Amino acid sequence: MSRPRRIGRWDHLLGALLAAAYVALLLATAGDLAMSRDESFYVTAAQNEATWYQLLWDDSSAALEQPAIDHAWEFNHEHPALMKTLFAWSWLAQQKWHVFESDSAAFRFPGMLTGGLLLWLIYIFGARAFGRQVGAFAALAFALMPRVFYHSHLDCFDIPIVFFDTWVTYAYWRSLRKRRWAIYTGLIFGLALATKHNSWVLPGVFGIHFVWMAWAERARRKQGHDPARRMRLTPYWLLSMLVLGPPIMIGIWPWVWHDTLSRLAWYAGFHLHHVYYNMAYFGQNYFKPPFPISFPFVLTAFTVPATTLLLAFLGLGSRFGAILPQRLARLWPRDLARPDRARTDVLLVGSLMAPLLLIALPSTPIFGGTKHWIPAYPFVALYAGLGTWRVIRPLRKLLKAKLPRARNAARVLASMLLLAPSAVETIHSHPFGLSHYTALPGGVPGAADLGMNRQFWGFTTGSLVPYLREAMPDGGTVWICDTTWGAWNMLQRDGLLPRNIRPAASMEQADFVLVHLEHHFVEVDFQAWVTYGSVKLVHVLTYDGVPIINVYENPRHRARHDAAQAIPSRPPAPHRPVPPRLLPSRRP
Amino acid sequence: MALESSEEQLRDSAAPTPLEAHAPRRVKTVFGLMSWSLVVLVALVELVGHFTIQSRVPTDADWATAGQFVRTNLEPRDTIVAAPGWADPLLRRELGDVISLDMAGMSDLAPFDRLWALSIRGHLPEVAPARAPDFEQRFGRVRVLRWDLGPSRVLYNFVDHVSEARVDFDEGGRTRSCRKTHGRSSPGGLSAGPSVPHDRFVCDPQRPWLWVGATVVEDLSLAPRHCVYEHPIGPTPFRVTFPNVPLGERLVLYAGLYSEHERMQVWPDIRLRVLADGREIAAMNHKDGEGWKRLEALTTAGRASELTVEVTSAVQHYRTFCWSATTRLGVEERTP
Repeated sequence: MSRPRRIGRWDHLLGALLAAAYVALLLATAGDLAMSRDESFYVTAAQNEATWYQLLWDDSSAALEQPAIDHAWEFNHEHPALMKTLFAWSWLAQQKWHVFESDSAAFRFPGMLTGGLLLWLIYIFGARAFGRQVGAFAALAFALMPRVFYHSHLDCFDIPIVFFDTWVTYAYWRSLRKRRWAIYTGLIFGLALATKHNSWVLPGVFGIHFVWMAWAERARRKQGHDPARRMRLTPYWLLSMLVLGPPIMIGIWPWVWHDTLSRLAWYAGFHLHHVYYNMAYFGQNYFKPPFPISFPFVLTAFTVPATTLLLAFLGLGSRFGAILPQRLARLWPRDLARPDRARTDVLLVGSLMAPLLLIALPSTPIFGGTKHWIPAYPFVALYAGLGTWRVIRPLRKLLKAKLPRARNAARVLASMLLLAPSAVETIHSHPFGLSHYTALPGGVPGAADLGMNRQFWGFTTGSLVPYLREAMPDGGTVWICDTTWGAWNMLQRDGLLPRNIRPAASMEQADFVLVHLEHHFVEVDFQAWVTYGSVKLVHVLTYDGVPIINVYENPRHRARHDAAQAIPSRPPAPHRPVPPRLLPSRRP
Repeated sequence: MALESSEEQLRDSAAPTPLEAHAPRRVKTVFGLMSWSLVVLVALVELVGHFTIQSRVPTDADWATAGQFVRTNLEPRDTIVAAPGWADPLLRRELGDVISLDMAGMSDLAPFDRLWALSIRGHLPEVAPARAPDFEQRFGRVRVLRWDLGPSRVLYNFVDHVSEARVDFDEGGRTRSCRKTHGRSSPGGLSAGPSVPHDRFVCDPQRPWLWVGATVVEDLSLAPRHCVYEHPIGPTPFRVTFPNVPLGERLVLYAGLYSEHERMQVWPDIRLRVLADGREIAAMNHKDGEGWKRLEALTTAGRASELTVEVTSAVQHYRTFCWSATTRLGVEERTP
């Protein structure tokens, strides 16, 4: 690898192209995904907040009074405001200019944008730390993690917080040499705090790294090394994070403008004492601590493509000597991996491990599946990029001697080969991202055999839309299980479901009952059995042959339907064509 | 990002140095080629694995033909299961109209003469006898298996006769009866517990949870159990009495609670007594965490008795108790 030349405008252009291409891909595929539970809550919050911003524009003094703020911001106040504000602004833009193809795309766009920007950031971070090839591979490897691809579509905070956490880490890393980056660190940390509580751990990670780095730097200075470009041993970054971070979060979040301390305390308490939800893991339904320590590691192994993980291990292994304390590092082969002065590897490995270790704590709720430790994945991707560079290098050397003109093409082809499993898995995972498992556990059926979680958030309802339209050409009612009424409403706002297919409050009133299959949801199946006196399913939505949603039909609806078929007194309802993107694209 | 000096071991960039790039030739060659081969191998295995997994998914046609075969050969005291358990919805899509609640929510195989299984991926049903099936045929990627269990020795299933029962309880120094009614079922929902069946006994309009009827409860293992719901009202007895129950040599009863109310293991035990013509013949103390618990009592064969199942508990909160029972011939279970 050649030493990275100065990162400049061409790098940023490449980063921007990556970001734009990813956002375009997300926009193009988002229509296949019905809104998940949490997304629908954030839509409600964003709509409330859009109304408040409109009021702020029209009558700012009225908007700033506590009742007006509380009215708009009380809902979903367990999360801070940055992304919801962006969702609201995007929604306002949609109302005014009809920028997006659908309402759901308007709400989701800011989340997608952070997904795109994250690729740009990973490329730049990787290019600066390890070289351009590493950065480019890392960005693509991250984009092609199936669960990352799913979450990048959503109007949620999980990908945005990955973006802001990674950005703060990058800014902190740069602040070790350039003082002005300390200010950026504080500013971006404020945005991270205003996005999600994952950011709370960042000062701790940086603190450990900084002490490590400063210790080594002082030691070498004592030995007489005094290079022209010194590492900064005053933690301006910390000062900046403390001074700028909280005010930015509070400034963005009107709900804490009144009763600030008590509301911040409530916010912290909510997340420090979060309720536990159900999560299946190796056939056991976990609903209270202690949770299995292996959970984040096994789920990572089962959901991130194995090639990417292996490359990351090779990359990490190649840098192992650089993360050892100085005394132990002396035992490591001296030429294989030596630390840089910023102790970059310590920072990257710390940022990689912190989210995993936090979730591995037996007391930490595990209901969110992989999304709660996705902030580790950009760093997994960076080491995968480094691993790729390591394994491709002998090939390049070989070709350099024999086919000098082919060596760059070989590098690209080899990278594409190593990304191919990720690309295939990611394409196949859509639109079942949360249900997807890689080949390691045997794919989706293998994971079902092992008793792993099959889904959460009721996000798979969009894949049932073609069936529901066909089953209820004249409209009807559906008991929608884990899908929220807001998510259902969004299917109708987007024009995917006709308005005359309505959600029902009870199974008995419904023409059809949906059951989203998670281990602890079986009781809902049994309720349908008792209500309808039958266990018969009229349809099962499957993914790779594994049941995802059960569909029951109310016997009364069936009887009405059969009677109507027997007496053809009226012409059949006109068939409304199903949008092509909702037609089944895989094995039924 | 130039190096400070070639002598320094500590550098500005984490990028591998020329020194590292020119590590000992043999290390470079051996490790380089080994890691390249390993990674390419894993990538290829992952790709091949992915497409192999897809190609092995049973088609809907496989399920349909296997289901049709079982439907054609089904006899009155047969039951059907899916293996693995997660394929159960696909079984019920094909054969749900011939699977009764007794079959889907069975406690054991005693009521059935034969066990059918639609099996994929080489799985065998957990409830199957520990021997080879008596019949096996493959339909694409779905295997149909059958075990002949022998004639069922079950004489009477209490769950099927709950509508003939009498329900009463003691309160305020007098005995109050519950009336049989037909009404709406529960709306349904996560954590809502077992559904109220349309036909049930209602005991007190002020206490909507105080009803008796045949429902399906999610037990501690999350399995379905078709059972008689009998929620204790507290320390005073709550009774369901069945007239003219034909007795065999044994009475086998299973009981447990709705999983969400048992799994925290914080509530008091439930005491269950079985009385034949007013005389206690069996009793069980059910502790939270015991799950679907079995009770067996010897009875006098050839008689028809009035049989009462009485439940009590120190408290009435979250005591969503349900039981199923059968009378059986023979002092031992048949060997299937």
